[in-house]
Amino acid sequence: MLIYLAIIFNAILVNNIVFSQFLGICPFIGVSRKIDSAAGMGMAVTFVMAVATAVTWLLQHYVLVPLGLVYIQTIAFILVIAVLVQMLEIIMKKSAPGLYAALGVFLPLITTNCAVLGVAIIVANKDFGFIYSIVYAIATALGFTLALLLFAGIRSQLELADVPRPMRGVPVALLTAGILAMAFMGFSGIKIG
Amino acid sequence: MTSSLRNMVLSLTGLTFAAAAILAGVNLVTAEPIAEASVKARAEAMAAILPPFDNDIAATATELPDGQTVYTATLGGAAAGTAVETYSDNGFSGRFTVLVGFDTEGILTGYRVLEHAETPGLGARMTEWFSDPTQPTRYVTGRTGTLAVKADGGDIDAITGATITSRAFLEALNRARKAITD
Amino acid sequence: MKALHTILSGIWQRNPTFVLILGMCPTLGTTSSAITGMSMGLATMLVLIFSNAAISAIKGIVPDKVRIPAFIVVIASFVTVVQMVMQAWFPALYAALGIFIPLIVVNCILLGRAEAFASKNPVGLSIADGLGTGLGFTLSLTVIGCVREFLGAGTVFGCRIYSADYGSLLFILAPGAFIVLGLLLALFNIITDRK
Repeated sequence: MLIYLAIIFNAILVNNIVFSQFLGICPFIGVSRKIDSAAGMGMAVTFVMAVATAVTWLLQHYVLVPLGLVYIQTIAFILVIAVLVQMLEIIMKKSAPGLYAALGVFLPLITTNCAVLGVAIIVANKDFGFIYSIVYAIATALGFTLALLLFAGIRSQLELADVPRPMRGVPVALLTAGILAMAFMGFSGIKIG
Repeated sequence: MTSSLRNMVLSLTGLTFAAAAILAGVNLVTAEPIAEASVKARAEAMAAILPPFDNDIAATATELPDGQTVYTATLGGAAAGTAVETYSDNGFSGRFTVLVGFDTEGILTGYRVLEHAETPGLGARMTEWFSDPTQPTRYVTGRTGTLAVKADGGDIDAITGATITSRAFLEALNRARKAITD
Repeated sequence: MKALHTILSGIWQRNPTFVLILGMCPTLGTTSSAITGMSMGLATMLVLIFSNAAISAIKGIVPDKVRIPAFIVVIASFVTVVQMVMQAWFPALYAALGIFIPLIVVNCILLGRAEAFASKNPVGLSIADGLGTGLGFTLSLTVIGCVREFLGAGTVFGCRIYSADYGSLLFILAPGAFIVLGLLLALFNIITDRK
């Protein structure tokens, strides 16, 4: 149990996917203007990342490795993720229209969210076990959600500030992210277990 | 081009086969150099940290129950030294692995950090910090016995600003020594 | 003439980093030194040139509805080729860039140029576009890498400019990536505004 707690703490705070691994920056900058859409995007990513990691883990260990096809990992994973996102969209539309209304608009964006493919590749290359991989994926996605929410909160305040013209928009967002990354560095070196 | 089920399936299948063929071809060409590159990197590390040897050292690997791997080097059939692939879990960001060399007397002959995720500019300096012959207070080559940083009563200078990493690094070295003396 | 114009506009007017603000992940993740930033840019440029050429060549035979999956297959194949070649002949560089090499697949620049340019233009021009956009990306990453390496370690491309003791480590670490890119973007805005 303690080991899973350690993974969760580590993935959310110490090695936050946005602030220390630089993955999923595009949605981080693009979707984090409002808290509502940040929460929606975070939930959609968490869902897709968990399912995608499970499927690519099985693909890696039961198809690619036994057949000696590890070299096509990248192409196989991205196709699986693309198909998966499409399928999720169709299933959600039919069986959970409420959820679809909330998350639907974010789904197409997720295929090219490098965090999803990134986590699938990290998990496959580091040879994590199945449960460990799923926990890692969900914790990483929660870390992504946390980053998005924090950032959306700060940005809604920033809207009111009088930012110098050349700094408006992305530059000031990046500076804010830099300060947040500094804050997250404070968690490094903390260990559980 | 307008889409019909037939041309969609045909074009995607064709494209996938073409891609698979190209990748299989490139894999055929690169598979051998890729395998050689990692063997070569390991051999280079061994040569750098051990006294001269002439056996196929990769074949002597024996894994210990605690996860360390011991390699035995021989020169003309006589023992020349031992290399231990060891680790520490007490670094700043997770486990790192170190290859440590000893001669037949148990004197440390060198080390090579294999994998680590320590902070660049701080903990990551362990890759060269302890192997600088011009700095005798932190040079670990030639030492025997258990090593410790000055803060812990030893005689080795810790990396500036990275005492935790330095401690973990020496812990790994001590673990390797324990593996060859036991 | 048109090809030259396409190349130049990829470097400046449509610079993928400073104007389009695409491909942020490798831009932040691989620029802790000039050499890693430049290598990442070059690897991306290679994939972009080949994928643009291939997509332009097959644009007549791919039905509209499966356009995007087809592009992804093409891009992923070239990424894998680059990945294998680097692993075989540049293992140290491959280790330094790590996960960002396979992640070229999801770099929005590639799919963006495929959709906006290569699928509508002849092969020659598409190659020019790939070259221009790729050079723009490489230059941006190299500049960011130089700034971070200079401020953080006191070196540029490994050549020492001043003593490492005066370097501010922050610029090599994660926060420095965000801060340097933010400030360079603001600088770029000031320069282009004045024109």
